[in-house]
Amino acid sequence: MRALGAGFVAATVVAAVGFLFVPGMILSAPLEPVMGFVQKIFYFHVPCATMLFLSTFACAAGSIAYLFKGSERGDWIAAASGELGVLFGACVLVSGPLWGRKAWGVYWQWDARLTSSLLLFLILIGYMLARRYGGPAGKKLSAALALFAAVDVPLVYKSVDIWRTVHPQTTVVPKLDPKMRPAFWTSFLLMTIVWGILLALRYRLEAARSEASTLALEIEDHLEARS
Amino acid sequence: MNPAKLAAFVVTALAPLALSATAFAQEFEKVTGKVADEVPAGPFVGIAYGFIWIAILGYVLFVARGIARVRGDVADLRRKLDSAGKR
Repeated sequence: MRALGAGFVAATVVAAVGFLFVPGMILSAPLEPVMGFVQKIFYFHVPCATMLFLSTFACAAGSIAYLFKGSERGDWIAAASGELGVLFGACVLVSGPLWGRKAWGVYWQWDARLTSSLLLFLILIGYMLARRYGGPAGKKLSAALALFAAVDVPLVYKSVDIWRTVHPQTTVVPKLDPKMRPAFWTSFLLMTIVWGILLALRYRLEAARSEASTLALEIEDHLEARS
Repeated sequence: MNPAKLAAFVVTALAPLALSATAFAQEFEKVTGKVADEVPAGPFVGIAYGFIWIAILGYVLFVARGIARVRGDVADLRRKLDSAGKR
């Protein structure tokens, strides 16, 4: 922990406190008259969806830096945020259908928002698979996939406004009842802090892997020079 | 009465009964007492919230273990490199 820095430790403490504090805020927020208690899923479903978008954009930004400038750090950021995209995508695709079962009577509808979200999740899975099993060209192949994922994000976001869907529209958050806002924005802030912590952790793993492979190459060179 | 005429008579007599039975089946029934919620929301909220935090916690443990393992590898490699340099 010491090696990770004071900022990281402070963020972890804030996240742990928030983890204990936010559920109480969500439970004490007023009930939504039409959907009732199941609407509480909204308070962490929407922040998770935003973290999915943020992860995808970070993955694409890192991939651009890697593809066009050869930045190794960009590649580490892309790898870390791509994996976070899969994590938060899974959270969105689990919490959303649970809401749907109660609100719509079914777990899944092939409507524009749900289908495009699933597509984004699958592109990010493809990113990870290409990176892991793509061989020598795997990094570049996955970086290109990250750009496609980033293009899908505005489509996912605007899908509820462009097409007729059963999913709530983008106006839900701006028009949120003032008494529901503190719980929502606290949950949002908590999820953003958690995202930052996870990104820092995963970035460090990627940096350590790179250091290990550099050292292994150095040993190989050394042994070759001696023989 | 021949069988065809008998069958026609029975069908004609039963038709209004069948129609009224269908209409009865399609009528909404008034609920007396408290209406039970067929799909309780509590478990859905609990599962959604629980899944998210278990997934995040599991991921933290997965990455932390990965970092510890790779740092161990780095330390081993450094030792190997140092000993190779000394020889």
